[in-house]
Amino acid sequence: MADDAEPKKSPKGEDEEEDDPVEVVLFKSDSCAFCPRAEEVLRETLTDFGGGFFVLKVINVSENPEAAEEFGIFALPTTMIGGVSVTGIPEPDMIMKMILGAKVSSKRGASK
Amino acid sequence: MSDFVIERVKTGIPGLDELIEGGFPKGDTILLAGRAGTGKSIMANQFLYNGATEYDEPGVLVTLEESPHLIKRNMMRFGMDLDALVKKKKLAIVDLSPSKEATPMKIGEYPSFDLSGLEAIILNHVKKLGAKRVVIDTLAILAYKFRSRDILREEFFKLAANITRADTTLILTSEIQSQHDGLGVFDIEAFLASGVIVLYNEMISETSRSRSIEVLKLRGSKHSSRIHSMRITDEGIRVWPAEISTGV
Repeated sequence: MADDAEPKKSPKGEDEEEDDPVEVVLFKSDSCAFCPRAEEVLRETLTDFGGGFFVLKVINVSENPEAAEEFGIFALPTTMIGGVSVTGIPEPDMIMKMILGAKVSSKRGASK
Repeated sequence: MSDFVIERVKTGIPGLDELIEGGFPKGDTILLAGRAGTGKSIMANQFLYNGATEYDEPGVLVTLEESPHLIKRNMMRFGMDLDALVKKKKLAIVDLSPSKEATPMKIGEYPSFDLSGLEAIILNHVKKLGAKRVVIDTLAILAYKFRSRDILREEFFKLAANITRADTTLILTSEIQSQHDGLGVFDIEAFLASGVIVLYNEMISETSRSRSIEVLKLRGSKHSSRIHSMRITDEGIRVWPAEISTGV
């Protein structure tokens, strides 16, 4: 059930750095009433943001409780980007900030 | 008086079962409340250890506060080797403590979530082990992790109902804050549980304290209504049913 949103290749100039897409992970469950809306908001926001910047991975905790346990995530929906997370139906602004934050920290990491 | 007998889950804690008609009613949710340092975690772990070693009832320990490493070390002090039980698949320790490195830092919370993840994690272990006993230690930490307390209250009810529906007996530990009269940080813990046990460690003089235990409520049981002496010995907690505490 992990999907999708194939990252599109963006045209790169010669002096641009190689950009790895940011992984956006949504934890959801079969019984969680807020999860479908959270997934919708995430997909819409990521589409608006443009392709090539991210990959969306959806983890259904009902089918894969081990993944939730591994990351210590037990309140759903939770969106995890880089080392940070938000719980509940996220606002688009928050998702944008998290993606940009993950981009900045991965670039810092790469330049070290 | 009906002849109907409620099936009991023996705690195996010396002296305690005598106070509660032989054990906790099977499939109930029991709240174990007390201030810091009263022995809640020891008693909860002892319940799991005895279940696995004496009654062939595997258990699941969900730790929201202390790391598994520290719990194992502390229980080893009382001769309880939790690691050995984990290896024999008689015990699962679910680490949801803040010390877990893989856990992302939560930077936002919207009041639109539930605890279905926690439920799925616990029920996964219950199923794998055929567990009959579950301990969640401690509820209090959730009050600090999440701002939306109304949601948490409702979710606890659902969580307790769904775990005990799997034929398991659930113990929730709850920390009573020092300047507080209630039984926990949510003020609803006592309603949530069908049984409430309170542990005390009160000052009886300037230089000493006395430990005691009270069965505040236990549905379907003729339990003692007195406060009894309790001690933490080299083998864990021990209750003296005949000894009435004067310390509280």
